[in-house]
Amino acid sequence: MRTRREAARVLRRTVGDAIRAQPRAVARAAAWSAVEAVPTAVFGRAVGEAVDAFRTGRTGEAASWLCVLAVAAAAGAFGSRRLYPALAAIVEPFRDDLVRRVTDGALRRSLRGRPDTGAVARLTHQVEIVRDTFGGLLVVVRGFLFATGAALIGLVSLMPEVALLVVPPLVLGLLFFGAVFGAAAVRQRALVVGEEEIAERTTALAEGLRDAVACGGEDTLREELGAAVEAQAAAGRAVARFAALRAVSLAVSGWLPLLLVLAAAPWLMRRGATPGVLIGALTYVLHGLQPALRTLVHGMGGSGLRLAVTLARILETSAPAPPAPPDAAEPVADAPAVELRGVSFAYGEGARPVIEDLDLVVPHGDHLAVVGPSGIGKSTLAALIAGLVSPTAGEVLVDGLPPGDPERRVLIPQEAYVFSGSLRDNLAYYAPDATPEQVERAADEVGMARLAERLGGYGAQVVPADLSEADRQLIALCRAHLAPQPVVILDEAAYRLDASAEARAEEAFARRPGTLIVIAHRISSAARARRVLVLDGTRAQLGRHADLPAVSPLYRDLIGRWNSEPARLLGDPDGVDPVLRADLAVDAGQMVADGADRQDEVLGDLRRGRAT
Amino acid sequence: MTTLPAASPVAGANRLLLRAAGRARGWTALVAAAALADAAAAVLLPYALARAIDAVPPGGAPAAAAVWPCVALVVASAAAEVLSELATGCAAARSTAWLRHTLVRHVLAVGPALRVPPGDVAGRVVGGAAEAGVAPAAAPEAAVGLVPAAGALVALFLIDWRVAVAIAVALPAIALLLRAFVRDISTTAHRYLTVQGTIAGRLAEALAGCRTIAAAGTADRETGRVLEPLPGLRAEGETMWRVQGGIAARGMLALLLLQIAAVGVAGAELAAGRLTPGELVATVQYAGLAAGFGPVLTQLLRLARARAGAARAAEILALPAPGHGTETLPSGPGRLDFRGVTAAGGALDGLDLTVPGGLAVAVTGRSGTSELAALAGRLADPDRGEVLLDGTPLPDLTRAALRREIGYAFARPALFGGTVQDALAFGPSRPPSAWLRESARAARADGFIRRLPRGYATPLADAPMSGGELQRMGLARAFAHAGRVLVLDDATSSLDTVTELQITDALLDRLADRTRLIITHRASTAARADLVVWLEDGRVRALAPHAKLWRDPEYRALFGGAG
Repeated sequence: MRTRREAARVLRRTVGDAIRAQPRAVARAAAWSAVEAVPTAVFGRAVGEAVDAFRTGRTGEAASWLCVLAVAAAAGAFGSRRLYPALAAIVEPFRDDLVRRVTDGALRRSLRGRPDTGAVARLTHQVEIVRDTFGGLLVVVRGFLFATGAALIGLVSLMPEVALLVVPPLVLGLLFFGAVFGAAAVRQRALVVGEEEIAERTTALAEGLRDAVACGGEDTLREELGAAVEAQAAAGRAVARFAALRAVSLAVSGWLPLLLVLAAAPWLMRRGATPGVLIGALTYVLHGLQPALRTLVHGMGGSGLRLAVTLARILETSAPAPPAPPDAAEPVADAPAVELRGVSFAYGEGARPVIEDLDLVVPHGDHLAVVGPSGIGKSTLAALIAGLVSPTAGEVLVDGLPPGDPERRVLIPQEAYVFSGSLRDNLAYYAPDATPEQVERAADEVGMARLAERLGGYGAQVVPADLSEADRQLIALCRAHLAPQPVVILDEAAYRLDASAEARAEEAFARRPGTLIVIAHRISSAARARRVLVLDGTRAQLGRHADLPAVSPLYRDLIGRWNSEPARLLGDPDGVDPVLRADLAVDAGQMVADGADRQDEVLGDLRRGRAT
Repeated sequence: MTTLPAASPVAGANRLLLRAAGRARGWTALVAAAALADAAAAVLLPYALARAIDAVPPGGAPAAAAVWPCVALVVASAAAEVLSELATGCAAARSTAWLRHTLVRHVLAVGPALRVPPGDVAGRVVGGAAEAGVAPAAAPEAAVGLVPAAGALVALFLIDWRVAVAIAVALPAIALLLRAFVRDISTTAHRYLTVQGTIAGRLAEALAGCRTIAAAGTADRETGRVLEPLPGLRAEGETMWRVQGGIAARGMLALLLLQIAAVGVAGAELAAGRLTPGELVATVQYAGLAAGFGPVLTQLLRLARARAGAARAAEILALPAPGHGTETLPSGPGRLDFRGVTAAGGALDGLDLTVPGGLAVAVTGRSGTSELAALAGRLADPDRGEVLLDGTPLPDLTRAALRREIGYAFARPALFGGTVQDALAFGPSRPPSAWLRESARAARADGFIRRLPRGYATPLADAPMSGGELQRMGLARAFAHAGRVLVLDDATSSLDTVTELQITDALLDRLADRTRLIITHRASTAARADLVVWLEDGRVRALAPHAKLWRDPEYRALFGGAG
């Protein structure tokens, strides 16, 4: 939203839609607004008549006018009370809709990779700003229209000539207000954006304070943040200038009619106005028009701008069209579980490919481990097989079909997902029809029965924040084990588990029918696998754990370093990379003895594995 | 360690607000002048109007002399309002900016000793400072705000004391009525926020699990789960509106009845000949003015929030910031001396250690290692004892000399700058880009950086990094600025062993002449250092090569493998 026209359009479109969506509520709101405005319409007339009556000694008549006014006041208050539920019926569905949009949009955008963490703030903060300002605007604009209308009706009933004096300056002032509104909206937006920038920079600075000081970069950061603060002060001054312009428009529409009526008083008197009529006219301006104008200008000035700006920001980040689900197709007979043909992938134009020209066949029932140094593209490979990213060249097939069908494969990523709900619901995420016995059996298999007991059984509510990373990963693993999908991809899904727990879980998966692909964090995962794919950035090699050291220097390195580094240096007999116990979760390379001696034949082959 | 003082420093908050107001002196004075002018005009105008109305004889010519004061007062009031808007905004902008500058400067000066959560710091700098910045304008507005109401009561007494008494009696009832509303609204608002928090919590969970949801194709199901409490939110929302409707209705009724009463009482006086018609109009207006203490309450509320914002700022400003000396460093090998150092609540306890210059020295132990690392480059000061670099106590050095000579790499580095290249260059001076790339190569970061969408020019925001990649960025940054001493605080813990080995090679070859203090929990890293410092119970248990220490089963037990 850069121009006043865009600001106006955003307001017109979304707010207009919201109002049109609830015609019955709008009708009710209009009706009760009219009732609410009754005292405004009656006030000047009643005061004027009462004054004339008091002046001429007709006290009884004056009293009855005041009674009329009191009745009108009671009616107005009643209308006001009934009005708000009608307004709620317009605003609350609109708020519901925004909450849905933000949630849906955030989830969908996050599917492409990084979680949209700003969405929570949008949900709690920005949606509430819209609700408050939209509601406020309805109250203010609607109130202004009805109060002004009522005052004008009262003026006309009093003496039509007075209305002629009041309307032109009123309209003039409002036109001026409308003219500066758009430009002011742009300034206000700068203020909101600037605030977000300062918040972001300050958070980053506070989070990295140790690094900032250790690098001696305080001056750089202070200058950058200082510039943002100064820009924000300038934006604040610009907004203040527009607020001053708003006050000018208020003076024109609110005060000028008053002076005109006063100046024209003799003329009005000549045309038959009594002092009561004059007083009634002034009362309409002072107690009808002026308060309505004041709330309009201040309300629109602040909240109207905020509404336009915040709405635009929510809509900027609203839901894109959901991707079309892949057609349900029958698996191609005799096709391998997973097949990659000449697959390359890079994260952007001109970026060096992460994976280049990779061929891979994973037959049904295979157990493949993928190893390689960190950042070499193992997770990218997992995402390609799962169909979460598309190759820049080549083809990925699962059961002979394009990947991405959630019915065919399960991907468990590093960051295990556990939600607030019962443990059973969490475990049966992929298998909603699983029986309690099946759930318990899967839990026993992967080794989470003790955890289930600790959490209070399968029916207990899980509080994700109370769980350790390892607990969460165990739940995710059990969930995958229970899944009916034939292909399971574990992307370092057990790296927070200690080595023996990881071994137990992986062995459970090896026993499970179906195809298993493990992105390995520890070399022990490779030792357990039937076959191993070694990625080293320039080459990919496929083979058995026992055979690979002979052909892959990197694999030799991986085994040597992860496995027997101190042994080589110092003759340590255990052949284990010693690691501080406190750090076990991050790096523990214990071997599982029987993993290396699988006698299974190496199935399939790597036809080509070349890069750069 | 510096934590926030428990009591809120009220005096500090007031002092801070005064200083902030001083920064916006001119604008604040203008706010006060405009508020006074506006208040005076508001009090005088009903009287002038009354004179003008009464000056119009039925069918006669107007007394121009009676209309002109009205014109003058209206113009004065309008002008005051325009100036007040301008001055209020500008005063707030200036004092907010000053507060923010002051806070940021102090946060940087306190440094890593600051133990305030980052979101909290941002809250104080953004929201807190903005609220505090309002004070210079809100204070004069609040002070002057009672003038119209008081003036109106005085004017009423001057016009007719009976009317004044009637209105003065009615006012407290209105005040009581308004107070009850505030209570109603805050309980419903609280329930609304609770439901909203539930939805936000579910969304945050789902976002954290976005990869799982993406892979499982369950986005629709998750949306449904997150939005499950939405009907409850609607119900609470509608309750809030009902409460508000009650408030609006009662407020409206109260004001109208007050005005009707004013007309009635004044009308009786008019009938008795003690009041003119113009004075009756003035009476109704004065009744409204006298009941108009709402704006004062608003300003007082803003002032209270400003005080709270300033108190939050003052808490930060009250934290002690370490000073720096004036000495630059004579040339030397980079020898570090720790003399009788006690720090971090006893994590280090009377530690004596000399780290010889130009060697790679590993530091290991069950505790105290990170504390030692922080002391080595004065990221923290010891409670007792001193740390010297080539014979000069660290506090005597200028900040520039200190940071030039001692560099750091951390386990979880924070990166600053627009692009990846800027992040590597971050520091007191900007190394040439060829040198940055050379450092990135040494830290094994060059490979993944070049795989980013725009290589070294990739904006940091578009370069999501794993823990290992982040560590290599931190190492590259440290290599690029390396001075006499390089402290690696567990800086390779997330790397696989091959990459770590390659980086250790770079440390041994390329930076062979620097003093390298390497905090590690891996035996393989310790094995490759020249010496190992073994910390135990806050002191040095041994200082020797790894091979020699390895014979000690207790040393081996430290690494778990041989225990």
